[in-house]
Amino acid sequence: MSKELPAEVFMPPNMLKAKVGGTATGLDVAAVKRAEAAMETLKEEFSDWIAIDIKKLGEAYDAFVASSNRDTRNDLFRAGHDLKGQAATFEFPLISRVASSLSKLIDTFDADEPLPLPIVDAHVNAIRVIYRDKIKDISNLTAITLIEELERRVHQSLERAAAKATRQ
Amino acid sequence: MPRALERVERAGQAMSGYRFDKLKILVVDDNQHMRKLVVTILQAFGAIHIHESPTGEHAWNNLREANPDVIFLDWQMEAMSGIDFVKLVRTSPNSPNPFVPIIMLTGHTHVDHVRLARDAGVNEFLAKPVSVKAILSRMISVIEYPRPFVRTKSYFGPCRRRRASEEYRGPERRNVVEPTALDDIPNNENQDGRHV
Repeated sequence: MSKELPAEVFMPPNMLKAKVGGTATGLDVAAVKRAEAAMETLKEEFSDWIAIDIKKLGEAYDAFVASSNRDTRNDLFRAGHDLKGQAATFEFPLISRVASSLSKLIDTFDADEPLPLPIVDAHVNAIRVIYRDKIKDISNLTAITLIEELERRVHQSLERAAAKATRQ
Repeated sequence: MPRALERVERAGQAMSGYRFDKLKILVVDDNQHMRKLVVTILQAFGAIHIHESPTGEHAWNNLREANPDVIFLDWQMEAMSGIDFVKLVRTSPNSPNPFVPIIMLTGHTHVDHVRLARDAGVNEFLAKPVSVKAILSRMISVIEYPRPFVRTKSYFGPCRRRRASEEYRGPERRNVVEPTALDDIPNNENQDGRHV
């Protein structure tokens, strides 16, 4: 029986530190403020950016409905997953949460089983409505109720799929 | 507060001395708006040499020319994923710099995804939403607290143990060979896959 080689551990030279330098001269508030100000300026564009991502999700969904296959399913997952990250950054946290639920459904559901289209459709529509009404408040009761119902349906679908897989 | 985080917080006090204008930074993301956001924040920190790539393939094909000091990388991209890109950078004999720090930006938040990224050779993991503070803290981490590199039969990349594990006082699981002193190598940009 051959003995596995032990791990080799070494510290490469810290080229980053050598390049950027840096001394403890107090917090560079100006740089952070500059970055936050730049971010504030970009925020004016966030809504338009999210609109583009939602359009992509809609196109991916339409393509999936027209022809359900591995490629269109992957595209739909990627569009949902992108929206999950983008919407959280671009100040639509509730859209991020719905997109997260959609991504979980697609990612976890058995790849050989057809996705429950009505639930996918409900997610896509919920995202459109939240955007249309520009709901950014994470305590919006109507939106939260809708999202919790979507998450519950996803949970049920995944449980049913898992039970079916166990029986087979 | 975890010790590692405290160190990062303290390191934030040293940022005014940083010359981000000296760095070459590569931002790889298939979403142009996310790229714009990250680039804008980095520029506000003073970075001026920023390359952008819309795909993993584009980034890989231009890696030698871009020669980045740090890479910000999206996970979910069409064709070559961020994980595939990291594996190429770390292990391909054609990689121009297997040691380059890689900060992965992703919508994935599950611990299994963090493990997967870590096992591919990512230095730092940044779950979206992206913010000024999140980017700053990851930059400080790779500048001030670089991880040692590890080579085993199945892995090459930054040490996958959490930095907080330095508080561990028990016996070492890993049978470490004498550390390889690379500090006398003047520039890790001269390293290639065969060298490590």
